[in-house]
Amino acid sequence: MGGPTLDWSLVWDSRQLLLDGLVVAVQVSATALVLSVVLGLLLALLRTSGTPLSWVAAAYINTFRGVPALVSVIWVYFGVSLAFGLTFTVFQAGVIALTLLYSAFLAEIFRSALSAVPPGLKEAGQALGLRSSRIFFSVTLPQAGKVALPNIGSMFIGMVKDTSTFTVIGLLEVVRVTQNLVSTTFQPFVLYTAAAAIYVLAAFVIDFGFRLLENLMTSPPQGRLARLLRARRRSRVERLVARHSSDPDPSRAPATT
Amino acid sequence: MTTVTEPSTTTAPGPTPEPGRRVPVVSIEGLRKSFGSLEVLSGIDLDVHPGEHVVLLGPSGSGKSTVLRSINLLERPSAGSLVVDGREHATPRTSGLFAGAPRGTALQLRRTVGMVFQQFNLFGHLSALDNVVLPLRSVRRMSRRDAEERAALELRRVGLLARAGHYPSQLSGGQQQRVAIARALALDPKVMLFDEPTSALDPELVGEVLRTMRLVAETGMTMVVVTHEIGFAREVGDLNVFLEHGRVVETGGREFYDECRSQRARDFLKAVR
Repeated sequence: MGGPTLDWSLVWDSRQLLLDGLVVAVQVSATALVLSVVLGLLLALLRTSGTPLSWVAAAYINTFRGVPALVSVIWVYFGVSLAFGLTFTVFQAGVIALTLLYSAFLAEIFRSALSAVPPGLKEAGQALGLRSSRIFFSVTLPQAGKVALPNIGSMFIGMVKDTSTFTVIGLLEVVRVTQNLVSTTFQPFVLYTAAAAIYVLAAFVIDFGFRLLENLMTSPPQGRLARLLRARRRSRVERLVARHSSDPDPSRAPATT
Repeated sequence: MTTVTEPSTTTAPGPTPEPGRRVPVVSIEGLRKSFGSLEVLSGIDLDVHPGEHVVLLGPSGSGKSTVLRSINLLERPSAGSLVVDGREHATPRTSGLFAGAPRGTALQLRRTVGMVFQQFNLFGHLSALDNVVLPLRSVRRMSRRDAEERAALELRRVGLLARAGHYPSQLSGGQQQRVAIARALALDPKVMLFDEPTSALDPELVGEVLRTMRLVAETGMTMVVVTHEIGFAREVGDLNVFLEHGRVVETGGREFYDECRSQRARDFLKAVR
């Protein structure tokens, strides 16, 4: 028997709709990523705080790492509205659902990244008389962030993929768009393959973006972008060095090396 | 224990301390420290006078680093009194010069005392310059401009001005340690603590750090140094304290290295020399 012919031109014809779906998926994921990073960091700090709240954080993390995105978004969109009379837009529900799940994953990523920061750096900060908040934001967090960054990138790719389940609440993301197209064209194989290609493309782009960020966060920062961003700072330091090198300091001779 | 220091008769740098007539800047009395059931300090007494260079010596596990780390409360004493710059930071005394001394906070203490670590502990995500700038901005509340000027001055003092824009990963161990010294000195501490500052260095890099420390000593900075560099200790040590098993076995002035009384200290010096 002959199967239906595969009409690949459909992909090109539907490109605008599919890419609009991707934009929605990325918007939901990016918003949720920002919230998840903040919440995940707080959870990681709570979990390592050694207070009774660390149990609360541990319970949260283990619960929400186990919940599928599909269930999470159904809870948020339908459950919360039934139980509390709160209604969210599909966009809001998607963001909340992803944040609930991924803050739990990010909490674990941050926990291991924070523990990877050498304790001597914190001690050096203490010995210099820095306040603990200053040590955290100026020493610990930049060091931990560098360690966590590649994993955060992977999480972001996972988030974009998980938006595919939000088709159940009618969010017009890639899969929803694909379903709509399939219902009129009856070309599921072609269109779902196109959808998959779009996710893969998104993954490549996200990976590239995070690699740029990683290069910026290495010490010293690497790459053309880093050179561009740091050009002014570098010339400022060069001027400072030049001025002090030529300026004799009568009070103290420089140490010879 | 009294910490009488012989007046310096050698050509060593630094002012001659006059401990009898000066108020100690650091005064430790009956200091004890336990980790669980293990007591690592069993009652240490030590006075450090302004301008004095104190060397703590002893075999590993003797408690010398713990004494040093207690002075800026990186280790909290289990018992005993710690007075720094006239403020009590542990158990208040009931008698003596510092009875009724006002209590100080850990932050006050650490802003009075500078420390240099064995592992340098530079902030790897900041350039040499910014390692010095960060505490100046945060502790001294300096503007970025003023902090950078001061930091450049300090880096120049340790001979690393040309490396100001380098990151720690681009510096040798000796250079990193000199930046760490500059970072601590920039805050104008009253006392500098050195915790085995050359122990993590390749042998050929030890000299440059010791040279920098000698320069610091020559400025009259009060220093407490834990080191195995006996040559350096002999040169700068106004007061030399030999510890073992968390107790002071012997203290001595400049004559210590030639005329120590205890057999244990003699054996130790022979072994490390």
